Amino acid sequence: MKQAVVIIIGLVLLSTGLFAQGDDDISPQRKQAIDSLALEKVRDLSKYISIIGNTDTPWSEAQRVIERAVELFMPGSEMGVSSLSKPEVHYYKVRTYFDRLMQLNYDRVVIEWYKIQYVSDLEKQPDGTYVGVITVFQRFQGYDKEKGLVYEDTTKKDITVYVKRKETQIGGRLIGFWDVLLGDIRVKETSK
Amino acid sequence: MKMKLILFFYLISMISFGQVRSFTGDESMLYAQTKQVNQFFRRFNGEEDATGKRLYKTDPRYRGVKLRKKYLNILFDLSSPLIPNDTKEVFILEINNKKHPIYLDFHANSWFAEVSSVFTYKGQNVSMILYFKLEQERQGYKWVLSNVHCGLFERYFNHVGESNSGNHFLHPMSHELDFMNLRKVFKDPKNIGFYLEKDYRPDQMALFLKEFQEGNMKFVSSNHVKFHFFQIPQWYFEVTYFNRNRNNSGWLISNLVRVKEKEKKEIIRNYTHEY
Repeated sequence: MKQAVVIIIGLVLLSTGLFAQGDDDISPQRKQAIDSLALEKVRDLSKYISIIGNTDTPWSEAQRVIERAVELFMPGSEMGVSSLSKPEVHYYKVRTYFDRLMQLNYDRVVIEWYKIQYVSDLEKQPDGTYVGVITVFQRFQGYDKEKGLVYEDTTKKDITVYVKRKETQIGGRLIGFWDVLLGDIRVKETSK
Repeated sequence: MKMKLILFFYLISMISFGQVRSFTGDESMLYAQTKQVNQFFRRFNGEEDATGKRLYKTDPRYRGVKLRKKYLNILFDLSSPLIPNDTKEVFILEINNKKHPIYLDFHANSWFAEVSSVFTYKGQNVSMILYFKLEQERQGYKWVLSNVHCGLFERYFNHVGESNSGNHFLHPMSHELDFMNLRKVFKDPKNIGFYLEKDYRPDQMALFLKEFQEGNMKFVSSNHVKFHFFQIPQWYFEVTYFNRNRNNSGWLISNLVRVKEKEKKEIIRNYTHEY
């Protein structure tokens, strides 16, 4: 519901005179509007990861949330994961990453997100799609019933964001809007 | 100077705390950290505020000398013995000159990425360095593979460019014999390098393409990235990611060298392992 409201607000804002079309460059105001849409998707992703990782989430609910989470991404998107002890990048398809997160063997999992979000500039790739990167930080704690906290890490997540100009018909009128999809994510464990 | 830096780090963290409340702990280090290469460019040029918000041309702080001075001081790996303080200060003075400031340009030439990677070669893990540069195509830009270097390939280039070939040469009247003496040239593979023209430049990329396309080489992983910058006149610097629990972390200048413009080409060749 919240997502639908954001999309509608985005459509309206991005199709008004404030964001006058004509040239292909993104004005600072439009960039801010696109950043908000992209950050909303990243917030959705953060929320979904927390639900999927939560051991109290029923299996069927986790499956439903995995579907929602996968829909945020461009097809073929991958997670590239490295840790302090294993600096080589290991690659997982996003669905595999979520499945693994759901199956982690802890009695209790706490996933928290830092407030900081860093949003890059948008760069145009050869096909005209804009691409940017949003950086967020996550803290993960895995608990065992008897031993207590058994695993803890903080990871930096650099999330690719694709932004494409699209058009849709609303009430017979052709409305332009910016479509935002997430792409590959680099997950790097930060120093303790 | 050190006190000023500490104060700047402190200010960055105070500003951030004024806007958001962390629910996981102290985030001041994360704000101070140069989190993306994009942020390195912005801080270097003085194009964002202390919270990481982009500044645009209409903002009076955009590319301001004072703002840049603060950022430039924190863009160095402060623990590096490779960067003497006086060299750093001269560099900052030159690029942040009020009359003739010098900025980095993401789309301009003269900077490239070096990616340390692991491939398998006939089943065995081998290290490979991949070099990438930005290239314009149609509506935008893309990173393109500009060179590769693999220790494994060096054995193919023995004796290349050596000024004395000993007795390994084709004598100057060989043509009169329809080059029948070629049989001697190709007798011993390890000496073939002696028979090449002196200006021949080995091309590891061609070898890589052959081995990769024949299925002998397979990509496993990338593990370390750094950037070489030759954009600033008379200077070369290197940017590396410092993953550490300190304010002075993220993408930082890890090496800074004063170089003559005419020497840059040679230095680039050295860094990219061109022969």
